[in-house]
Amino acid sequence: MSAILECNDLTKKFGSNVAVSAVNLKIERGQIVGLLGPNGSGKSTIIKLANELLTPTRGSILIGGKKPGTETKKIVSYLPEKTYLNDWMRVHQIIELFSDFYEDFKPEKAYDMLKILNINPNDRLKTMSKGTKEKVQLILVMSREAELYLLDEPIGGVDPAARDYILQTILRNYNENATVIISTHLISDIENILDYVVFINHGQVVLTSSVDDIRDEKGKSVDALFREVFKC
Amino acid sequence: MLSKLLKYELKATGRIFLPLFLALLMFAGITRLIYSIGPEKWDAPASISMAIYIIIMVGMFVMTFIMMIQRFYKNLLSDEGYLMLTLPVKPWKHILSKLLVSMLWMVTSGIAALISILIITLEKGDITKIVVGLLTVYDQVYEQLGASMYLLSVEIIIGVLISLASGILILYASIALGHLFSKHRMLASFGAFIALSTLSQILFTLIGLIPEAYFPDIHISSNDFIGMQHLIQWVIAGGIIFTGLLSAAYFAITNFILSKRLNLE
Amino acid sequence: MPWELKSDRPIYTQLIEQIELMIFSGVYPLGSKLPSVRDMAQEAAVNPNTMQRALVKLEEDGLIITHRTSGRSITEDARMVEMAKTKLAQEQISEFLAKMHLMGFEQRSILTIIDNMVKEMKK
Repeated sequence: MSAILECNDLTKKFGSNVAVSAVNLKIERGQIVGLLGPNGSGKSTIIKLANELLTPTRGSILIGGKKPGTETKKIVSYLPEKTYLNDWMRVHQIIELFSDFYEDFKPEKAYDMLKILNINPNDRLKTMSKGTKEKVQLILVMSREAELYLLDEPIGGVDPAARDYILQTILRNYNENATVIISTHLISDIENILDYVVFINHGQVVLTSSVDDIRDEKGKSVDALFREVFKC
Repeated sequence: MLSKLLKYELKATGRIFLPLFLALLMFAGITRLIYSIGPEKWDAPASISMAIYIIIMVGMFVMTFIMMIQRFYKNLLSDEGYLMLTLPVKPWKHILSKLLVSMLWMVTSGIAALISILIITLEKGDITKIVVGLLTVYDQVYEQLGASMYLLSVEIIIGVLISLASGILILYASIALGHLFSKHRMLASFGAFIALSTLSQILFTLIGLIPEAYFPDIHISSNDFIGMQHLIQWVIAGGIIFTGLLSAAYFAITNFILSKRLNLE
Repeated sequence: MPWELKSDRPIYTQLIEQIELMIFSGVYPLGSKLPSVRDMAQEAAVNPNTMQRALVKLEEDGLIITHRTSGRSITEDARMVEMAKTKLAQEQISEFLAKMHLMGFEQRSILTIIDNMVKEMKK
């Protein structure tokens, strides 16, 4: 099977600002990958390009061998950094929306997770705290049986207990055909669940390696290496 | 997929409009009630009720306009766009669903307004008078125009609908064009709107000149309405085609920007 | 079961050690069936591929056996486990002795200290 995500000379400019510069990347299936870099390094841009929310200036990005479009959106489950849900809806309504539009969405999974997190499906999103909304979004994304999960800063604004729950959920949903790409700058929390890391800075790939190789060869954690590489 | 989008669009907008319609009809009813009880003693409440009714009426029409813009801008080009545009649905379906639902509410607002006016003004026996009047008009028109009356009516309805669509689509296109800019998007949209309207006006004038060039001998005379009816039909048809092409152009611009020039912050 | 994973050594080596400890101490008795890779990975909060790597190595070392249809289990060979246990003990002791030598202790003093400490612990 082809690589689930492939970037070939991927470049994205906003006017004169180069957000992503000639990125070459190949990510295989069945991996949990960390896309690591400081704020503004281009991580979110690459993820948006994969979701067709942006179009490349040059080069290409392929999901399962195809250009981003309706077909790839069916197999990609995306968690953006911001809250993007319609405020007026109740939780069960947004679940129905996902069921309607995504064939691989499993409502039972979603309701289970909501129960565990004590979120009432009848509540209106408008009345929820930011943290709860983020949990709902994560539940929606992880209730899909997608081939590629793109999580943009999933643990950023969340308390440590919720963080653990999120990581557990990611592991629980793991299957050998799917890949999870987590973009974050909070590395020590997620290091243990990553197979592979990609360091990004100023829109360019600085390093790609398996986590074990980093620890083997450099004798330090990915977090420590990150601090070294991205020292201010 | 389109039907699903329509369903959600209706849900999202219906929760605003249906209560508005209800309120409109209710206050029409209340006003009517107060007036019929006795105009002198109940002057103040009657005026208040009438005022509220008018405010609701105006608000309703303003809302159709605001909703039309907001559904497009907020739902596709701001934070909610992250949800909507990652759904496995082509952008043109999004545009079409919002267009159709906006048109729906505009038409139903008009109908609701009409009904509310009837509620207030209808006297006993009025309905009979109106029905008789309508039938008379129908007979007279049929006498004058014959079967082509149907064609004309259909043309007029299509004409109204396509003008409505065109009006909405030019706004969508302006918003989409404004989205191309990274700063001062509202200003850019406004500018785009002016540019697009001006362009279409110019085109319209140019096309209007063609008949004169090719048919210099045609006189339009109001005395000869019947003889003119073919001409009128052609003119209306021409208008429909022109507006239709403009609508298609605005749609294409909007679709292109949403598909190939998207830049969600 | 809390898995303690340090951040400067490869995770899979630490997993190997922890699983070995559990075998030696009887938490995973001889011949018992192991949970699936996914479940073990979830428990340890690590990537399933990493857990797989650890289990494969343990298999190579003979402590774990994979059955074609029924997953993995601990070996029934008590002798093998004893040997591995002894090997681990020897590794730990070599490390310990090396450190003690660095500090300047001689063998006899080391043994005396150990003897005294063991007597204390027994009380």
